Amino acid sequence: MWTPRWLLIFFFIVLSLFQESSQYENQEQQVKGFFEKAESASGHTNNWAVLVCASRYWFNYRHMSNALGMYRTVKRLGIPDSNIILMLADDAACNARNRFPGAVYSNPGRKLDLYGENIEVDYRGYDVTVENLIRVLTGRVPASYPRSKRLLTDDRSNVFVYMTGHGGNEFLKFQDNEEMSAFDLADAFEQMWQKKRSYKELFFMVDTCQANTLYSKLYSPNILATGSSQIGENSYSHDLDYDIGVSVIDTYTHYMLQFLEGINKTSKTTMEDLFNIYDPVTIRSHPGVRTDLFSRPLNDVLVTDFFGGVADVDITEEYDTSWDLYKSDGPVTKEPRPNPSKLMHVEKASYAVSIAKEAGERPTMSRAWAALALTGLLVLFTLLHGCSRTTSSTQEKL
Amino acid sequence: MNNEQFEEELHVRPLQDGRVYTNFVFKILLKNAVPRSANTLGSEDEAQHYTVFPLALGQIIREYAVTELHLSLNAGKWDYASWGYPDNPSVGSGAELWAWMGEGDEKRVSISFDARWQGLRNALAGLFCASLGELDERRTTSPVYAFQPDGDLPAESMNLAYAFHPSENICTENLTPFIKLLPCKSRSGIASLLNPHRLFDADWHGMSIRVLWRADEGVEVQLGVQAVFDPIRLRGQQKRDWDFPHIFDRTITRACPVAYSSTIRVDLPLSGPYTLTPDPITAGNGTAVFDVMSANKPLDVSLLYLNEAHFTYPVDPSPQTDLSIARSHTGTSQAHGRFHVTLTNSLNHPQRVAYLETPPWIIKFYLHTLTVTVDQDPRPRKDIIQKLTYIPTSSNLPTLFEPTLILPPNSTVHLTLDFDKTFLRYTEHPPDAQRGWDLPPAVLIPLSSNGSSAPPSLPRMYTNTLLVDLATPDFSMPYNVIIMTCTLIAMFFGNVFNLLTREFIAIKVA
Repeated sequence: MWTPRWLLIFFFIVLSLFQESSQYENQEQQVKGFFEKAESASGHTNNWAVLVCASRYWFNYRHMSNALGMYRTVKRLGIPDSNIILMLADDAACNARNRFPGAVYSNPGRKLDLYGENIEVDYRGYDVTVENLIRVLTGRVPASYPRSKRLLTDDRSNVFVYMTGHGGNEFLKFQDNEEMSAFDLADAFEQMWQKKRSYKELFFMVDTCQANTLYSKLYSPNILATGSSQIGENSYSHDLDYDIGVSVIDTYTHYMLQFLEGINKTSKTTMEDLFNIYDPVTIRSHPGVRTDLFSRPLNDVLVTDFFGGVADVDITEEYDTSWDLYKSDGPVTKEPRPNPSKLMHVEKASYAVSIAKEAGERPTMSRAWAALALTGLLVLFTLLHGCSRTTSSTQEKL
Repeated sequence: MNNEQFEEELHVRPLQDGRVYTNFVFKILLKNAVPRSANTLGSEDEAQHYTVFPLALGQIIREYAVTELHLSLNAGKWDYASWGYPDNPSVGSGAELWAWMGEGDEKRVSISFDARWQGLRNALAGLFCASLGELDERRTTSPVYAFQPDGDLPAESMNLAYAFHPSENICTENLTPFIKLLPCKSRSGIASLLNPHRLFDADWHGMSIRVLWRADEGVEVQLGVQAVFDPIRLRGQQKRDWDFPHIFDRTITRACPVAYSSTIRVDLPLSGPYTLTPDPITAGNGTAVFDVMSANKPLDVSLLYLNEAHFTYPVDPSPQTDLSIARSHTGTSQAHGRFHVTLTNSLNHPQRVAYLETPPWIIKFYLHTLTVTVDQDPRPRKDIIQKLTYIPTSSNLPTLFEPTLILPPNSTVHLTLDFDKTFLRYTEHPPDAQRGWDLPPAVLIPLSSNGSSAPPSLPRMYTNTLLVDLATPDFSMPYNVIIMTCTLIAMFFGNVFNLLTREFIAIKVA
């Protein structure tokens, strides 16, 4: 069966296919290289954050201040309000019990106001329910909901999900009324993965009692999860302010925020450094990390990959004025032609197609068609030849 | 920018109990614009180009073909007796949304009125970070006399949708997008005085968004913030002197360059020597006017009361309004109660008013128990209520109770009405069920007398919200039932199984 003729045909087909794929490989590499920064292989283009405070009532002030501390950090490191979904189950700042109206503090002594003057809370009060959270994560919100209430992630988004409240073994309590189980959350994340791959990498942080159980049931890829305490352990509050009258921050989140205060947008601190500050003695519980679903090593992942919205900008040289369509007067309508030798790293992938056009040939599929045609001819030829040979052989037999 | 005009004004009025009423009004007029007709919703809208007119709000108005829109978010109880009438009459505590929208010809328009109302609510909820999605059919009504349009309406058939959510609160996240709608944001002009840490400390505060159409001018957006500050409490001493850094913790450092006019009006106190600094542009008719554009910056208006070591509250304060209304509910049961409304007319002539009550479905009125008495006379009167518009509650729709009354001169009318409280299903209770349910405020609308075409001279008034205590179940009951049933079944089954299947075999004991 494997005559030299057949071998030749087989070899030729394989060669043509290789050339085809290598050409595509070349272009893939160029597009990938455009997205990847030189240092890390994260490959994400935008950052989103979902920050949920699931408890209501004044004595749960610290949960609201946890979520607001994360909100402030994430905003400071560059994620805009349009990419943050903040859910607060109760109003702490303008609560009638609040001695300092319009302000939420996370340390006794009240040095830093987390509420500030520029805040957008997307879901508040009775709107913070398990159903609404799952709808936001999976994208199944009613048609009339505006953009600010939707999680518009795509397959190049890094999503940071932070949840705080009262919880227990594999559940999180919402507003003292209903619970969300770890299975619900795992299914929601899986739906995010299945449905248009709505995240590239997801970082899940939870600060409740027995928090590590909440991420124990996750099964989707590219999720890094961490929690404040393991099964059977409580997470404790950290500080109490005597004028506000309640605890103002939780221990785990306090140490997280303290670490993140030392980070700015250009920082190269990795997630491994973040997890290295876990000290069961000072945090008074055993925080945990789950990395088995995460593909990259932790010392390669920057903290700003999840907490910040860092845009890597290369300044190009002044654009070539010969491209001005109207020289003397009138507006310049031609945009500067992107110089392929100096790729401009931007967060949105708007120039990808044009770059590919400049750098490589347009995939015309001519080689594929030629290979197919030649293969077809060869097959036809061998069939005809084979037919004549078999007829002659049968004749001989007879 | 010749077809858009932005004007801003701050009105400051000292009140008789030492407090200071401030009203910020930002008006943006889109000249010669016409609101989108509901019949054009099937086709694409013409392009809109705005410079200072807020784009986010303009897009929402055109998307749902809204002619007139009023949204207000308030906190506190407006004290009509001490403070008089506010400049903007919408002072009900909570979130109030009402809109006049065209009905839309059903054959040409694919989207129904209710769907547009829902879209409008959700769009405004997203824009202003408020839970306005709760204003669905459970809280929406269409009053007859109340909420007549402030502007003009086009010739097509228009409907009013009115909804009130008394449990809504207002905080910095509502003020942030509000300020972002202004052309100068809070960087310059009068809006730079809007400091959330002081605004939400005020004894009464609220913000309002009004969109109206005037046929001869165009579409106007009025963004307003009203607040009643207490300089005595802020200072800690009993002196009612105030200035901008004292009440707002801010001064005006720059004027808004795109403003057509930017003025501050201060109502001068009626009595006592006082000093008003800086010097106003005009001072007459009891009002001093400052022009922010031409004044020396930083602009800090201050009013000092001379010869007043400390302020004494008026012993017998005269009511500042001619009409007054108070509403309460009585009864100790969790199954029924009674509304008691007191309407006082201090004018010397009878006044025709409408009274609007829109409680949610948890309250069921018994209309035959409606009793009207005047002053101390216990005999029920049949001549006070002229007309009654009444749509009782059904399934989860609210009641609409809107009688028209003639209040006799110099008298007090008492209305009482019995109601039943619903026993809600287990899942219908809010998360904090033991708190109770808020009832929206009742509205008193003075009307012009019968046959007169002149508009009424007095603005509408709101009562306080009421908190109604409903019977709550024991929310741990299902868990207890399951545990007990399982225990009983296990014990019963265990014993019966053993009895039926256990065999006693004698073992030889040697």
